[in-house]
Amino acid sequence: MDMSLILELSVNGVFVGLMYALVAAGLVLIYKTSGIANLAQGALAMMGAYVIWAISAQMGAPMWLAIPLGLVVMFGAGILTERLALRRMIGQPVIMVIMLTIGMEIMLRGVLPGIFGAAVKKLDVGIPNDPLFLGDILINRATMVGGLISLGLVALAIVFFNSRLGILMRAVSDDQTASWSVGIRVERAIAIAWGLSAVMATTAGVLWGATQGVDWSLSLLLIKALAIAILGGLDSIPGVLIAGVLVGLAESLATGFLDPIVGGGTRDVVASTIILVTLLLRPHGLFGREHIERV
Amino acid sequence: MSVTRRTLLTSAAAAALAAQFRIDPAAAQEKVIRFSMPQDFTKIYTFVTSEYNQGQRDYISLVNARGGINGYTIAADVSDHGNDLPRAIEAFERAKSQGAVLVDPLSTPVARALTPRALADKINLITAFSGRSDAADGTVFPYVFPLSPNYWTQIALLVDYFRQQSGDLKGKKICFVHIDTPFGKEPLPVLKRLQEKLGFELSTFPYTPPGNDQSAIWPQVRRARPDWIVFWGAGVGQTVALTEVIRNGLPLNKVSSSVWLSESDMDVVGRSQAAGVLKIEPCASGRAPKLIQEILKEVVEPGKGAGPTEKVGTAYYNYGVMLASLMVEGVRQAFARAPQGPISGEWLNAGLTSITNFDAQGLIPPTTVTKEDHQGGGKARIARWDGAKFVPVTDWFTAYSDVVWEVIRESAAEFQKSGK
Repeated sequence: MDMSLILELSVNGVFVGLMYALVAAGLVLIYKTSGIANLAQGALAMMGAYVIWAISAQMGAPMWLAIPLGLVVMFGAGILTERLALRRMIGQPVIMVIMLTIGMEIMLRGVLPGIFGAAVKKLDVGIPNDPLFLGDILINRATMVGGLISLGLVALAIVFFNSRLGILMRAVSDDQTASWSVGIRVERAIAIAWGLSAVMATTAGVLWGATQGVDWSLSLLLIKALAIAILGGLDSIPGVLIAGVLVGLAESLATGFLDPIVGGGTRDVVASTIILVTLLLRPHGLFGREHIERV
Repeated sequence: MSVTRRTLLTSAAAAALAAQFRIDPAAAQEKVIRFSMPQDFTKIYTFVTSEYNQGQRDYISLVNARGGINGYTIAADVSDHGNDLPRAIEAFERAKSQGAVLVDPLSTPVARALTPRALADKINLITAFSGRSDAADGTVFPYVFPLSPNYWTQIALLVDYFRQQSGDLKGKKICFVHIDTPFGKEPLPVLKRLQEKLGFELSTFPYTPPGNDQSAIWPQVRRARPDWIVFWGAGVGQTVALTEVIRNGLPLNKVSSSVWLSESDMDVVGRSQAAGVLKIEPCASGRAPKLIQEILKEVVEPGKGAGPTEKVGTAYYNYGVMLASLMVEGVRQAFARAPQGPISGEWLNAGLTSITNFDAQGLIPPTTVTKEDHQGGGKARIARWDGAKFVPVTDWFTAYSDVVWEVIRESAAEFQKSGK
């Protein structure tokens, strides 16, 4: 395999990985605040893309207006999810809450194509498809723009967790009862985390929707996001960034190197293998905190 | 329970009254021929089902509005199997109990699961653009009907078109990009035999389903510097493949797909950007064909259409009209052979295997179905997307039938031997 192909696969792999990282960042945001792995994160990305498509294609709004409107709607949807579903689960075992998120994922996968029609929808955010060559290397404009936007948003999330509100949310994550006792509004912090997570998922949904069109398969982003979140450490935003790059690179290079040898299909195996190996060897991921309990 | 005198007298009076009415067996029996259409409206094949089914129902409405066939109307029993095998089997059994003579599931895994039942129960199973390619061999699959060019025939048509354009394929490079599923791998046996026969170089590039990220595949295709490219998938995998073709700067007029490419895919990719791409066309698309005009006038305009008017004339809608017209032609032929019936799977089977040179008023290539050939001749044409519509670039033709039928017979013989 020639070096320029390896370079091309690597560059595009990094951008794709960063786009996956945006979905993973939403997962981490909720986990960091409430200790719950939201398995509906892929469906939220799909829902965000459908909402923005509906605002632009069905209601006729231009894309520059549809995207911010969609983000506001999805922020509200995130807050409502916490208020109507999650808050009722207070006191229930964590596994029940995770089951609730799986239920949401399945429901949204069925309901949204039911409402908007199952055919793939075009979401044109204005990124041209014309090839962009740097010497012999082709850069995919859509994934490049998507990757850079993701990078910016994940960096913002890192800054956010060092802000006053972010510190409050980290406190909630560490100990909800203690946070309550010092006057932190725990429900509000968790609701904001859900809102922001839905915004991140929506951004990812739009970027992927612009690349592949909008349909139910956007919800499959969950698997990649899980691999990244687990590898990076479920409670580490910087970890998401690095794991995103690693997963994107590994997938792209595996497709280039292994597919011709084994006859294809290695791309999805990479994500599953990363999940499995990380959980077996380093359950808290590369950058996650190791929880130690005195017994 | 005690019977009072009043109950006894009332019952006797009712019985006496009822005896005055003659029950006419002909009037009691509904003059209906049941087609069962359990299809996937909600899961995998959603990109095609609604338009395909709309075309089928609109054609059947046209036939019924004109008085049906021989005094019989066609009932289209539509349900959703969601590509779920237990639900599909349940739908098949329900169809059987209701007296359906034909089942059209429009799904490869469902068709494969239903094949043994259809053969045992003698119910005609329609497997157009799906199911087993070897079902073209009617001697082994007497009750399974593709009624359309199978995937082996489709790939042979494309290779022959490439040969016609290149003059000779010796030393030329064909890249085959496909979804990594049994459906995606389907053309490989025929491609490999044609490679030996014609001397072209073949490179295959599988992508993982559903194909929403093919960014690592297409750079490899581009660097292989192919003379011709075939992309073979369905749904989102097709639009992503086509987008990647554009992003990689590959010449669209050297790129082709199977029957699974539609106007809806072009809307997602960008109608003008996709101009030049080729596909297999098993029937004419658009609203110009006479049959589509008649549907518009007699079904859609009076408000009896089965779906959105804007979908009338799309590629997948016309596939539905094509298949419904072949099914109904089977009914016509069955009546021609046995006007008194009895209406049964065997009765329709005799009709379907007697379809001769039927072209649905120019919508489809002249199609002849026999007891041996359930493909109907395997004719189709190549069409090019011009930015607004598919324009045929060849006449109806078939290619390398010897190679295709060799593979069909081998595979059918294997089924006969192993049941798989």
